[in-house]
Amino acid sequence: MAIYEHLQHFDGKPVVDWELGTPLTGPGETAYRISISWEEHEAKSQWTDKFAQFLTEPGVEEVTALIVGPWEGAMESDGSSEAATEAIVAAREQLPNLKAVFVGEILAEEAEISWIQQSDLSALFNAYPLLETFYARGGNGLHLGSPTHDHLKTLVVQSGGLDVEVVREVAGASLSALEHLELWLGTENYGATTTVDDVLPILNDNLFPSLKYLGLCDSEIADAIAAAIATAPILDQLEVLDLSLGTLSDEGALALIAAPSIGKLRSLDIHHHYVSPEVVDQLLALPVSVDATSPESAADEDDRYVAVSE
Amino acid sequence: MCSYVIVGNPDSNRIDFFQQALERLEYPPARIAAWADLLEGRTCLPKIVQAGDCVRIESPGRDFDVERLLLAAGAAEAPSGERLSEVEARNLLFERGRIWVPYQWYLGLRLALRQIEDQLAECEPHRLTNGLAEIGVMFDKAQTHARLCAAGVPVPESLPDVRSYGDLTEKLRKAGWGRVFVKLSHGSSASGVVALRTDGRRTQATTTVEMARSNGELRLYNSRRLKVYEDASEIAELIDALCRHGVHVERWLPKAALNGASFDLRVVTIGGRARHTVVRQSRSPMTNLHLLNTRGDVEAVRARMGAAAWAQAMESCERAAKCFPNSLHAGVDLCITPSFRSWAVLEVNAFGDLLPRVLHDGMDTYEAEIRCVEREKPGELCILPN
Repeated sequence: MAIYEHLQHFDGKPVVDWELGTPLTGPGETAYRISISWEEHEAKSQWTDKFAQFLTEPGVEEVTALIVGPWEGAMESDGSSEAATEAIVAAREQLPNLKAVFVGEILAEEAEISWIQQSDLSALFNAYPLLETFYARGGNGLHLGSPTHDHLKTLVVQSGGLDVEVVREVAGASLSALEHLELWLGTENYGATTTVDDVLPILNDNLFPSLKYLGLCDSEIADAIAAAIATAPILDQLEVLDLSLGTLSDEGALALIAAPSIGKLRSLDIHHHYVSPEVVDQLLALPVSVDATSPESAADEDDRYVAVSE
Repeated sequence: MCSYVIVGNPDSNRIDFFQQALERLEYPPARIAAWADLLEGRTCLPKIVQAGDCVRIESPGRDFDVERLLLAAGAAEAPSGERLSEVEARNLLFERGRIWVPYQWYLGLRLALRQIEDQLAECEPHRLTNGLAEIGVMFDKAQTHARLCAAGVPVPESLPDVRSYGDLTEKLRKAGWGRVFVKLSHGSSASGVVALRTDGRRTQATTTVEMARSNGELRLYNSRRLKVYEDASEIAELIDALCRHGVHVERWLPKAALNGASFDLRVVTIGGRARHTVVRQSRSPMTNLHLLNTRGDVEAVRARMGAAAWAQAMESCERAAKCFPNSLHAGVDLCITPSFRSWAVLEVNAFGDLLPRVLHDGMDTYEAEIRCVEREKPGELCILPN
């Protein structure tokens, strides 16, 4: 499985694909997606040129949400998000109200997640101190730095195989307003190097005092993570625990069921999982809203796959 | 009202569906000339075809006896290398999904089509709904691609004459392309198709082909399950093996998505007009229906494209069909890009009208074809002069 559809909404706003020459209608209420289509790529258009045109549109200063779709070459595995990122950083004066950014909203038919070439995105945090929502798709070449940022509420990294360095960068960040943290750890086959020890600081050290939503998704170490979360202090502060898209099985699910603070959650998402029907029933009996849809089956442990990897 | 003669495999559901359509339209049942009988010389068309009949050629596929006979027929012409002798071909044992020697099969098919043509020349005056030489062209992806190109039909660019994996990577580098489809030149539908992506360092091949080794021999199988190869030497082995059978390499255009899955269209043209259309949705690079993928909503695609672009896309399909002027029907596969603004014809299938229960103007493909023949005046479109 992979991601085959564009976001319809981003940061609560309807997404519009911005095309050259289109005036911005309701710039404050729209999330603009700027991408280089296959046709534009063939015509040698550059993402940064299109973005420069976007910046000249009247009303652009009201824009709050921006999505970076495929840049030139993204579909041909040629070129990274670096130029687009630099252009957005350089546009800080022109986008004073920008609150939400998604770098690399690229679909599987354009480039599978493991073929998206990211870059060092850390400068975006400094350039946009009012940023509240940050998404990135693709773990290759990705760096976030360890930003200090007082407004960021949502940080999401979707990947088929995340390097532990990114997890460490997040753990080292100072994000006092962070409410929603979602990391897709992926599989070793596609570059995942995170072990459960690497996520322990996030679970145990009260790094993000405002955190309400923790997603450690698409992970092949979901059982170990569940076991660690079951006894971690973070469970006392979370409203939502998201272990979806991974290889969670009975082992991790039973650890969660036995966790003293599990009842403090509002919801638990494990969709795409390897938990047996009997244990799913036990999960559904918890005083928590549980999404245990998309059960997978595997002959043995080696046959379990995360949902998004290639 | 004419009577039909079908050259086909008697047990095929294609023949059942056509007979049912004849019955609904109050035609007499078609008489069947079995591929196996024709290939073995047990019957010949002059004994079956009567004056005023309409002859329909159906797929020889999905029948292992016929496959063996076509392979045997192609043995004499097949070049050395990937080749089975006539005796070997006749004695093949069935193996599910096994890719034998597609080029030899194709040579056998062409020979059989020529035999049919010769036999029809001996028959009483009749109509024929398939151009026999055109069937041959449609089973050759490179020839089909060239014909479409020459007619100005939008198609993905191709890399001609790829001989090996090394040759492919070199040509990709020169073209600056990051991803292509490698298809068996003479495979049908999703047989032997590889979606290949590379950035010059890393390479990934998503495919329905499975490799198996037995006594040092590499065997290829079509599978319903997609497999992803990441190992460069395995990918090289796979592509080299396919190249030995002959491949057609095309740029992998990104496909548009709707409702959480990407899709392409199968557009059946009948009498040169785009008619029955299905949206083949998939969460993989392969969208062929028999890979257990699902059908989507044609109206939703039309709405997203807008009426004008949709009409132009259908016109491209009709233009593709016109490249095969003696074929009453053709199954055109059309890729729409993610912007919904451009499109390209991926395949033209000689036997691409098997779309049970899909109606257009209240008729299924078979009824529409029968009605179309009724309207044709002798000497037009689907009639071979005799």
